[in-house]
Amino acid sequence: MTAQVTATEATATAPLLEVAGVDVTLGHGWRATQVLAGVDLDIWPGEIVGLVGETGSGKTTLARTIVGLIRPRKGRIVFAGTEVSGLRRGARRRERRSGHVQLVFQDPLRSLDPDLTVAEIVGEGLAIRGEDARQVANQVADALTKVGLDATLLDRTPGQISGGQRQRVSIARALAAGPRLLLCDEPVSALDASNRNYILRLLRELRDTLSLPIVIISHDLSSLAGIADRVVVLYRGRIVEDGPVSQVFSEPRHPYTALLMASAPSVGGSSGSSGSSAGQALTVRQLRRTAADPPPPDGDTACVFAARCPFAIDAPDACASQPSLEPVGDRWTTACHRHTEWRDLAAHRPSP
Amino acid sequence: MTGKPPHDEVLALEDLHVTVHDGAATAVRGASLSVAAGEIVGLVGESGSGKTLTCRAALGVLPKGCAVGRGTISFERQDVTDLPRRDWERLHGTGMGAVFQDPASYLNPNLTVGSQLAEVLRVKQRLSRRQAHRTSVELLAAVGLHRPDRVFHQIPAELSGGMLQRVMIAIAISCGPRLLIADEATTALDVTIQAEIIELLRDLRDQRGLAVLFVSHDLAVIRELCDRVVVFYAGEVVESGPVGEIIERPRHPYTQALLRVASVGDFQRRELQVIPGQPPRVGADIAGCRFAARCPAAIEACRSRAVSLAPLSPVHQARCVRVTDPELSAAASPGAAELAAR
Repeated sequence: MTAQVTATEATATAPLLEVAGVDVTLGHGWRATQVLAGVDLDIWPGEIVGLVGETGSGKTTLARTIVGLIRPRKGRIVFAGTEVSGLRRGARRRERRSGHVQLVFQDPLRSLDPDLTVAEIVGEGLAIRGEDARQVANQVADALTKVGLDATLLDRTPGQISGGQRQRVSIARALAAGPRLLLCDEPVSALDASNRNYILRLLRELRDTLSLPIVIISHDLSSLAGIADRVVVLYRGRIVEDGPVSQVFSEPRHPYTALLMASAPSVGGSSGSSGSSAGQALTVRQLRRTAADPPPPDGDTACVFAARCPFAIDAPDACASQPSLEPVGDRWTTACHRHTEWRDLAAHRPSP
Repeated sequence: MTGKPPHDEVLALEDLHVTVHDGAATAVRGASLSVAAGEIVGLVGESGSGKTLTCRAALGVLPKGCAVGRGTISFERQDVTDLPRRDWERLHGTGMGAVFQDPASYLNPNLTVGSQLAEVLRVKQRLSRRQAHRTSVELLAAVGLHRPDRVFHQIPAELSGGMLQRVMIAIAISCGPRLLIADEATTALDVTIQAEIIELLRDLRDQRGLAVLFVSHDLAVIRELCDRVVVFYAGEVVESGPVGEIIERPRHPYTQALLRVASVGDFQRRELQVIPGQPPRVGADIAGCRFAARCPAAIEACRSRAVSLAPLSPVHQARCVRVTDPELSAAASPGAAELAAR
């Protein structure tokens, strides 16, 4: 894995995608809510990036902003040297139809048209682009082969195939456009463990054979550990940690990452713990706020995680202000004022 | 669990058969399981293995076209298999409660959650308006909702998925049932919330001596919560026993396969395993073991005749011809698993 990353990074001098200081607000007037705040994210050629966070953290909004379905209020999105966030109508449509960035939507049962056949779904984008029928048919067959689907499924509708197959159809639809970057929104959350692993392996194969960079959005960290090179943790619209999977998962620097890890169920012995290789395993109880903890700082300027963080202290130069992403290692950043202190504090908290 | 005195059995299914499509096919084929007071039993299997139909049969709410074909369902040692609808309705809430995957779809979006909880109490327990309100707020607090008096007046859209699932649990336990059936109750939730709901279910079991039947497709979740586990494959129980024993020494190749694909939790990079092949169609006519077509250890004897559930110890059973074969444990080793994966 490390070899893979270094190899791709050695050849690439610039990220394929740059998201810089992006703010997104959804809704208007009094309903307006800020969903993303100051998001900085680079995607390099050939890497698999896991984007994690809970419901409402802005994962899906970030993906939709990258493909141009949502306009950022502030900041810019640069794809292969072109600032796509600033494009006007015609240019924006041309960029979108080029199929350079493809998004595989959440929940294929709802995102695929139930009345279209597999062949129509996969070929629709190509037909709109104006390619002739024979070319479309070839590319559809090619895309289905890449995802390991049999040609006998071509005439079925989404309702007539299994959940795992539907997810592969969604991926084939994205691949048919010939993307240079693939974004997958919760590609495995609706699947059982075996199908989940099958889809993740398929995505890794696509990266290896097509050297296609892939962003996988998921709330399940443990499956990302199997395939991602880098993990980006989002909490209420802000990136709180971003770093190499092996390092982040062995010693997370943000208490929220540690909480996510400790919460993940497992069949292994060290269940409900996080960062076991760091010497001491932390449990969910050690990472969760209790009534006994001092009240967290609140107000608009406080750290987004403060209200849930047992280590937050109400001081203007600490958790009462929003921390920025600071480097804590090689290509590893975290946004926590107390990233050097909380682990020791956690270890001294009672654990059942 | 293992060393306890004789259980106070709350739910017992004996040789349960459930037919679907108006009797055209049998989806659950002779399932037997029991849940005792204060015990959490997990039901695990792939989608389509008959877990949900088994639950719905136990709750007396089978969908249209489905029926109990054979076997018995006992609730607190009373045969309830052919109970008339009215009597089932009396049992719902007061005897047994249920929680499902998507809490939002079971609540009226236009009414406050408190009024929906109080309504149950007023109808089932005949409480006065004032008493129902007070008990509702207590229940909302008991399921771990902060500021329950405020939550009482909120509508479903104002609550998060985890909070709604807590409300559903409050409704399910409001009339003091002895049995709680949770069908994929944590599947749609974030991991942090899932961990909280698992803790809540465990606390409720400890405080109220509830019997819990917990259904999930994820063996990792089952391990976190349950005392015993029943593994379903294609409508049959293929293995059952104490969770610790099943996780450490699974005896059926399907259970072994489920374990290989489950999350290990050490966050280390490793080859992701899959179970090759697809489960048989519902109602497929298979002479021998229903897992044989996908089983890395299948031999001739597996395909020739039906396999029965064999006791391996007083608490552990498995349905496999080769269950005592020393080579089978070799098949469970990682090397063979690698071969089986592709």
